[in-house]
Amino acid sequence: MSLTVDERWDLIDSIAKKTITYGRYKETLKDVIGELTVKPMTGIPIAITTMYAFWSIFGSFAGTLFTDGFFVKLFDEHWLPWMQAHFPGAGGWLYYIIVGDPAADNCFEAFGMLTSGIFVAIGVVLPAIFIFYLMLTLLEDVGYLPRLAVLVDTVLHKIGLHGYAIVPTILALGCNVPGVTATRILETRKERFVMMTLLAIFVPCGAQLGIMEEVVPESMGLIILYLIIGYFITGLVLNKIIPGISPEILMDVPPYQKPLLSNVILKVWVRMKSFFKTAIPFVLLGCVIVNVLYLAGFIQWLGSTFSPVFVTWFGVPEATAGPLVAAFLRKDLAVAQLSVIEMSAYQMVTAVVLVSIYFPCLATFMMLLKEGWKELLGSLAVLISVVFLYGGLLHLIGILAGVA
Amino acid sequence: MRVLLMGHPNVGKSVVFNRLTGVDVIASNYPGTTVEYAQGSTRVEGEDVTVIDVPGTFSLEPKDSAEKVAVEMLEQERGAVVISVIDSSKVERGLYLTLELIERGYPVILALNMWDIAKDKMIDIDVKKLSRIMGIPVVSTIAISGDGIRKLASLIKEAKPIKVDEIVERVGS
Amino acid sequence: MEYDEMGTVKRIEGELREKVAGMGIRVGKKVRMITKQPIKGPVVVVVDEANTSLGLDIAGKIVVEMER
Repeated sequence: MSLTVDERWDLIDSIAKKTITYGRYKETLKDVIGELTVKPMTGIPIAITTMYAFWSIFGSFAGTLFTDGFFVKLFDEHWLPWMQAHFPGAGGWLYYIIVGDPAADNCFEAFGMLTSGIFVAIGVVLPAIFIFYLMLTLLEDVGYLPRLAVLVDTVLHKIGLHGYAIVPTILALGCNVPGVTATRILETRKERFVMMTLLAIFVPCGAQLGIMEEVVPESMGLIILYLIIGYFITGLVLNKIIPGISPEILMDVPPYQKPLLSNVILKVWVRMKSFFKTAIPFVLLGCVIVNVLYLAGFIQWLGSTFSPVFVTWFGVPEATAGPLVAAFLRKDLAVAQLSVIEMSAYQMVTAVVLVSIYFPCLATFMMLLKEGWKELLGSLAVLISVVFLYGGLLHLIGILAGVA
Repeated sequence: MRVLLMGHPNVGKSVVFNRLTGVDVIASNYPGTTVEYAQGSTRVEGEDVTVIDVPGTFSLEPKDSAEKVAVEMLEQERGAVVISVIDSSKVERGLYLTLELIERGYPVILALNMWDIAKDKMIDIDVKKLSRIMGIPVVSTIAISGDGIRKLASLIKEAKPIKVDEIVERVGS
Repeated sequence: MEYDEMGTVKRIEGELREKVAGMGIRVGKKVRMITKQPIKGPVVVVVDEANTSLGLDIAGKIVVEMER
């Protein structure tokens, strides 16, 4: 036998009356903070402050403290010279793949598998990913994310999503792969498609952010701004052209809690583990593949063949062909490679934006494929149009501003 | 024997799971992240028991995709015992889901989790009386510290399906 | 219903009744609105000390009698 909604509640009321006694409830500090962070007047400034704090801790901890303060010295002053001196067969192809440029004096230029590869993975990306996940986990366990979702709901509705889409977006800032997985919490196919497409194109992952913070710190703001604007413009367009509905938010907002230390450690560890498993092999493999392609002359050929596209349409040097190939495998690697190409500040910004938007890395691509090939094809179609239009638009802005 | 852990998001269900099985699952303080489920095992009186951590749901009438996953998992496990984990400071909401489970014919055990928080809020629940009226095993637990988990495990075998009209009668009398 | 007001739920339309029942929102319950986001954003209401966020259209289907 089953009851109707009202019968069930009536039954609960009578059970509760017989078994539960409520004392006086007084509002606690937690409730007050809970309300303050969800009310627009106070909540929006708090959200902006939180995000800004997140960002500055990310930059100063990972970039300045660990990478600059420790790993750069370790790798450039000890590891690289040692490898260059001791690895046999300088000038040969194996030396080129494993150690890279024998004349390089830092680990960005060398680009060998065991020099730049390990430096990028361990020295730059690892601390960035670690601090990102630690802070994300804390925000998550405290219970801030649902409140953020409520605050951004209005804005995200304009691009066919609801507030909850902030969860996959933030997760994707760590790594796009779990971001894509998290799109499953969205309700309709339309929402999932819009979200996946935007993630694949406009959301840079933690590894990429970490390395950008290291190689182009002065242009970070501009690059991020371009990506955010692109995210919203593309979202607006997709919302107009994709049929389907985006349902409204209906969500429990849990009270704040003190995070449980064991849970935080466990969660950061699980997330780091998946980074070790996927990222490090890909970075090393990426170095090898790119070096082999250079040795075979493929990248030089690609650069000169598509020279009109690179130079005329996007306004970036031919040499960006190499990083764009690397970006198929790992975006962090691609940005590292870009950093040693001779170019103007404008070109660097455009090239980094292009690397971010032009194609999802292999791991993300596989994940998108798992979610459905039709969606993937659709996303790719959007992606190609966006890369050309948006890349061209950036060039136009550059020309108008007189910097391109 | 199979045991499902069900409850609202954010009632400490994953911590109960960790305590019961020793398997570590990630608990999240916001709904929807555990779209995939976790499975582990424990021994009760010499018998192996498989424990499954079902994603949080507010009712068996799903309002979104994460809840749909939870309800589908429940439906696939017809013979399972269900531990309904509820937040002791929000008993009424939790009883709603518990009654739905009972109505669908599952043997249910009620775990009144976050007992310490209910105490802080001066909420007093008569566990014995609740168990008598509901006709199912009820135990208070504090998953974070492990209180009550042993007792919970020992009660798994006592759960049996009951008729909801019996509850209605007992409340009335 | 306006900011920080209290009221009692009178009627919930259609399917929504089942959907919000599990969250504790039901006829006869007292609710308090804690926030309303600008430009047609969602509202957050408190029922039995639990906060729930509702889109504006959804909230519109819940009829509440105000307390004065």
